[in-house]
Amino acid sequence: MTGAGSALRDGVRRVARAPVLLFGTFFTTLLIAIPLAIALDGMLKAQLGTSGIATALARGADEGWWQEFLAQAHGLGTTFVPSIIGFGAVLQDVSDLLDDVRMATTIAGVTAAWLVVWSFLSGGLLDRYARNRAIRARGFFGACGAHFGPIVRLGLLALVAYGILFGWVHGWIAGEYGRLTRNLTVERSAFLVYGAALAVFGLLLIVVNVVVDYARIRIVVEDRRSAVGGLLAGFRFVRRQPGTVAALYGLNAALFIVLIAIYGLAAPGAGTAGAIVWLAFGLSEAYLLARHFLKLTFYASETALFQARLAHAAYTAAPPVLWPESPAAESIGNTSP
Amino acid sequence: MFARLGLLATLCAAVGAAPQGTAARSPRNASYTIDARLTPATRTIDATERLTWRNITHRPATSLRFHLYYNAWRDARSTWMRELRLAGGRIDPHPGEWAGTDISTLRVVRDGAPAADLTGRIGFIAPDDGNVDDRTVIDVPLDTPVEPGQTIEVRIAWRAHVPRTFARTGAIGNYFFLGQWFPKIGVLEDGGWNCHQFHATTEFFSDFGVYDVHLTVPSTWIVGATGVELDAHPEGPGETSHHYYQEDVHDFAWTTSPDFVERHARFDEPGLPPVDLRLLLQPEHAGQAERHFAAARAALGSYGRWFGPYPYGHLTIVDPAWQSGTGGMEYPTLYTAGTRWLAPEGSGTPEGVVVHENGHQFWYGLVATNEFEHAWMDEGINTFSTARTLATALPHSFYTERYFGGFIPWVFHDLPLSRIDGDRLAAYRASPRADVPATPSWQYWPGSAGATTYAKTAVWLHTLENYLGWPMLQRILSTYFADWTFRHPGPDDFFFIANQVSGRDLAWYVDEVYRGSQVFDYGVASFRSERQADGRYHTTVVARRYQDGVFPLTVRVGFEDGTEANWTWDGRAQWKRFSADRAARATVASVDPDRVLVLDVNRTNNTASLHPQAPAAARKWSLAWLVWLQDHLLTYGFFV
Repeated sequence: MTGAGSALRDGVRRVARAPVLLFGTFFTTLLIAIPLAIALDGMLKAQLGTSGIATALARGADEGWWQEFLAQAHGLGTTFVPSIIGFGAVLQDVSDLLDDVRMATTIAGVTAAWLVVWSFLSGGLLDRYARNRAIRARGFFGACGAHFGPIVRLGLLALVAYGILFGWVHGWIAGEYGRLTRNLTVERSAFLVYGAALAVFGLLLIVVNVVVDYARIRIVVEDRRSAVGGLLAGFRFVRRQPGTVAALYGLNAALFIVLIAIYGLAAPGAGTAGAIVWLAFGLSEAYLLARHFLKLTFYASETALFQARLAHAAYTAAPPVLWPESPAAESIGNTSP
Repeated sequence: MFARLGLLATLCAAVGAAPQGTAARSPRNASYTIDARLTPATRTIDATERLTWRNITHRPATSLRFHLYYNAWRDARSTWMRELRLAGGRIDPHPGEWAGTDISTLRVVRDGAPAADLTGRIGFIAPDDGNVDDRTVIDVPLDTPVEPGQTIEVRIAWRAHVPRTFARTGAIGNYFFLGQWFPKIGVLEDGGWNCHQFHATTEFFSDFGVYDVHLTVPSTWIVGATGVELDAHPEGPGETSHHYYQEDVHDFAWTTSPDFVERHARFDEPGLPPVDLRLLLQPEHAGQAERHFAAARAALGSYGRWFGPYPYGHLTIVDPAWQSGTGGMEYPTLYTAGTRWLAPEGSGTPEGVVVHENGHQFWYGLVATNEFEHAWMDEGINTFSTARTLATALPHSFYTERYFGGFIPWVFHDLPLSRIDGDRLAAYRASPRADVPATPSWQYWPGSAGATTYAKTAVWLHTLENYLGWPMLQRILSTYFADWTFRHPGPDDFFFIANQVSGRDLAWYVDEVYRGSQVFDYGVASFRSERQADGRYHTTVVARRYQDGVFPLTVRVGFEDGTEANWTWDGRAQWKRFSADRAARATVASVDPDRVLVLDVNRTNNTASLHPQAPAAARKWSLAWLVWLQDHLLTYGFFV
């Protein structure tokens, strides 16, 4: 029986065999982010004008200027904080997510847009990784379109679950953290409590996340129309093999941690100028490309595990071949004598 | 209790442990002998106090006034609590965490006559705001006035309930930090009692004296206090009495906990008196002892050389317990610092707070200004001095952000903090017109009092340093320090010395930065350099004053051949044009190029370049931000 390690290796291979998807998703993220970066560029230019301080900023950073910029900034400008420098960006993003820090309206908007776009693409991505063969743009976007409805409905269900987690559970855990640490006089002890609270919340988050992941996979691989059905099927899959599912999740998470640790060592700082600016940007983009690779590996490896455990010829009776063929049916068809 | 005190004094004298009085350096007109017992389980202090008070004014005192600071947290109706809410703050103590001071007896003794019991005459007053629910000041009418030069003795027995920390005094777990814990007499001036209610944004004011204090705590607990410990001896089962003594101070605070880790070091610098340093650390910060000492030495050295010596010879630094809320508080010969479990080098923690609180030994401890009315004179001058010390005597610190619940620090080594960051220019910029600094500090808008008190003063002093030069400002400050050590100067005393020492009339500047709330913003409004028919370049700069603050400035233009043109501008007009005809084309124009006017709230517009680099700078930083945004999207991509 396929284990977590094999599924991960299989997933990596499936992603590597589809570089267009990797670069496609990478550029999608980039293209969604660029308009706001252009807007910020305009704000910075407007604030700097012909000021000579720009010369120093083009070569390095200036904390005093930064404070001055933030003092007059509004909207998008308020997100231009020193934390964006180098590895600080990664720390801030993960920390803000786990601490449920409210994001600026503009950023919330673009994040929502990106999630919708990614939800649309996820049908095609999973379809491609499930088939493990080239499906061309028409096939890819056809799958995106075909599965978009159920995936959006699944997304709404997930939104409710995450809403409960962040809107209520997180608040409750934060309250408990406050209660438990209110009279602590040792910061290390408080940190342990914080870590435990984070672990509890993280565990709940992962449980929901993994069920939604497999629900999405089952919607695509089994060509399900019902998001509720997919969610229940995803839950059943996770419940029947929790160890393997958790191990695969852990392996993927470990890869993510290794990647950000490497970026932590290599992340470019503020002391860049001229062409080095572009080199630094290239290095950061390479890291982001790797983040995309790992995200797709998450998809592909979970798909591989699901197919190995459930959607394979020995397990599934061959359904009547009707259009559109599901990846599972196609897989069975290919293996039939 | 008083009989026991007398017996103790006799015993001390007998064993040679009695304090050796030295020549008075201060008026010593409010001296206290206190015998206090702390019961940690109930968080109560039972104490007796004997105050020896001398009227050093030219008017008779017909009543006595005392501060009962702990009553600010007796309930939510006090002036302190109301002002806290006004500033948007909120504290919700649990039952049993409120505080209070209850006087059981108050007797006055004079000229050896029998004690007059005035307990029944105690009345709460609210001289500042008339809040009938405020119980932080009591007035005790006297039968016979205390004439100028006359001395009386006041004997008070009281009980204090120690709060869960408010305003940096109180207790959490086994950690107690006790400031403003005893009934303290106000300051009688020729104009009457200066005895304000306790306000949320201001601190304290009291007269100098001798403190002779016995503190009884559980035997395994470590005690730190103002002064030096003369002796400690068992006092009942499981309790020890610690005897602390200090002359020529105007307050007394103490701390106790069984958890302290104790370290000792010494400040020894040629030309300055040595100081024994005692550090009471939290166990989880034991590895940061040397950083505390290094910062304390830097402060003692810098302040000592710049302003005057620290005379007491000993100093206790208290590292407060996590979440105690008692960090960053100054008392004579003792202060609380404050650090974190994870405090990497370069983060400025604990160095910044140690230097600042150590600095208060000078600006507050020795030059004892009225913190109710002129908080800028200790906090502002000290913020200026702190920033200067951090910039000149300690390694650089950097912008530091804390993540994951504030536990995990990350130091941005690309962003070194400047001295102007230490002045807290950003805080001043946020509310430059909030209050006129000459307004009594307790009347500042609570939401921005800190910016006016700390930041604005530091920024205008830094500007004054740039304007007069450091040697001159240093002479002003050292003269002020020498003239007013162990006394209570007011703002006019400081400004008088500034004028006298500098030989200038600085009233115009004081009017703007202290008696007014003018805002300073100069900039380059227009800059051109055009080739003329004769091949030379005609360069024109228009400097503009965008706000109402006026300050004399330099206007400078740099040319492609490396030469410069400089003009001086009195800064009065709304704008002024400067022109030059040169063989070379101009490249950059600056108003206040040497950044004399640190008060300028918009530095970006002070320069203009004919080869602006804004596109390159904006591109570089928007690319960095783009990377952050992509990372943000991928992080939230967790959900799909």
